Amino acid sequence: MTSPLSAPEISRPAGKRDTPRPRPPARPHTSAPWTPRRLATGLGTVVLCLGTVLFVLPFVFTIVTSLRTAADVARSPLGIPHSFTLKNFTHAFSQIHYGTSTLNTLLITGLSCVLITVLGALAGYPLARITAGWSTAVYRLFILGTSIPVFVVVAPLYLLMRDLNLLDTYAGVVLIYTAINLPLAVFFYTSFIRQIPTDLEEAAALDGCGALRTFFVIILPLLRPVTSTLLTFISLQIWNDLLVPLVFLQDPGKRTVMVNAYSFIDPHTVQPTTLFPAALLGVLPLLVIFIFFQRQMVAGMSAGAVK
Amino acid sequence: MFHRRRATMAAFLLPAIAVYALFVLYPLFRGVYLSLTDSVGGPISHFVGMDEYKAMADDSQVSAALWHTVLYAVVVVVVQNGLGLLFASMLFRRPRVRRALNVVLLTPTLISPLMAAFIWSYLFAPNGGLNALLDGVGLGSLQHVWLGDPSTALYSVATVNIWMFTGYSCAIFLASYMSMPTELLEAAALDGASGWRRFRSVEWPLLAPALTVNVTLSLIGSLKVFEFPLVLTNGGPAGATDTLTLLVYRNIFGGGKFAYGVAIAVLLLVTVVVLSSATNSLLRLRERRV
Repeated sequence: MTSPLSAPEISRPAGKRDTPRPRPPARPHTSAPWTPRRLATGLGTVVLCLGTVLFVLPFVFTIVTSLRTAADVARSPLGIPHSFTLKNFTHAFSQIHYGTSTLNTLLITGLSCVLITVLGALAGYPLARITAGWSTAVYRLFILGTSIPVFVVVAPLYLLMRDLNLLDTYAGVVLIYTAINLPLAVFFYTSFIRQIPTDLEEAAALDGCGALRTFFVIILPLLRPVTSTLLTFISLQIWNDLLVPLVFLQDPGKRTVMVNAYSFIDPHTVQPTTLFPAALLGVLPLLVIFIFFQRQMVAGMSAGAVK
Repeated sequence: MFHRRRATMAAFLLPAIAVYALFVLYPLFRGVYLSLTDSVGGPISHFVGMDEYKAMADDSQVSAALWHTVLYAVVVVVVQNGLGLLFASMLFRRPRVRRALNVVLLTPTLISPLMAAFIWSYLFAPNGGLNALLDGVGLGSLQHVWLGDPSTALYSVATVNIWMFTGYSCAIFLASYMSMPTELLEAAALDGASGWRRFRSVEWPLLAPALTVNVTLSLIGSLKVFEFPLVLTNGGPAGATDTLTLLVYRNIFGGGKFAYGVAIAVLLLVTVVVLSSATNSLLRLRERRV
């Protein structure tokens, strides 16, 4: 049996054998001669790779240095490491109370993400489906929130939290994160639900299915892709944030990783062998997640902006 | 029946509106009101009108901080998006390395600003990584007290910002590149247009929406920069890297000048809204033209 690729060859009329065959489309990676253009592209690739290396160099340097002994680094900061140690990490681990603070940060980030997605999706449904003027007005009001820096509301928020007895509580911080991230969630969900055809919902309504049930049975399952995009974005923001927990959580037992790192480590006086492991521990959970969900996260981070 | 559905649907909005109104909108209005009082954060305060704003107009620290904030934003927006575009256009032409390098370039974006500031505070230290590197490659004469010299401190802080987010700009430009109609790009290539010609007359116009998004995002992000100057310089040397956010933080939580800090926060809001809406509408106008 002939392979499909050779089939045209066989069916070719015998008389036309001598005519020059059309050249197959150029395959870029065969060993063609080094034309100036290819040379330029090749050089560009080298420059590109060098540029990228330059960007990760500080990162690599941080990892290598954090595994060296202080004396070794002091002798030659950029030299070849002689010995590796994990002592720096165990030291930093206890210095920033890594266990407790990681649990705190996880709790705050997790609860905030749940609240943001639930409230955002619930709000996005009517905003996408109801075309009355007030609905547009509410939507605009939410969009306004995407450009308000936290700094503008931080002082009045502090007074409000004090009056509500929510200072120094997880609930307070979670509510703040929920409120300041809701505009983005509302924007994501509203624009996503608008693209879902209404046929299914109309059929459900005729069958006597209420709005609540329609939402949970028909709309909610369709929201998974936009939710994962939103979650990659906001979980990164909340995990990495310093200001809100710094201002609103004073109890040492409730502090987050970033606050502990900020309060216990002065980068201008400590050795890089103390500084770098702390910095890496703060990033570690995200880095692990990034390695597993790399594809979704890259898509999420760029999709969030193209909208 | 549909009417009742609408009512239930509208009820879905209530929790979101309640949280948003209580913890964002109300503080926003209360902040504007507080900036017109002499409040120190306690229960007693008097309405003093524009006094805080008048004091702000005479305060050279505030005008300097405003200037640093805007200069910082301009440097970051231009360099970060320039580099991001350069990387994206080079990556687009090299499908074999595209994905891997894009992921690598995005890693700094994951780091928290605080951790990035930790890493760079050592790299910029007088006997830190950067100076050691310069010495090592025989450029010892270029060694510098990067964060200690008022003329380089702000740019050094901006470098950290650019380092962190260039990969992000690049990813957005690259996503826009990938959605370009291939027929158009192939037609330009078949017509024998040079690389630069193709970029200038085909790709650049098609990148307009991505440019708008990138400039807007990096502008808003860099105007509210906080962790980098806080950790790297804390506003020093001699106030050369004081930003509006640092002044807000210092006045509200450290200086006892609560209302003054709130007034500076309002100035920050006005700066962000004016600059971002101005550039946004300019860029959108441009999108329609090209």
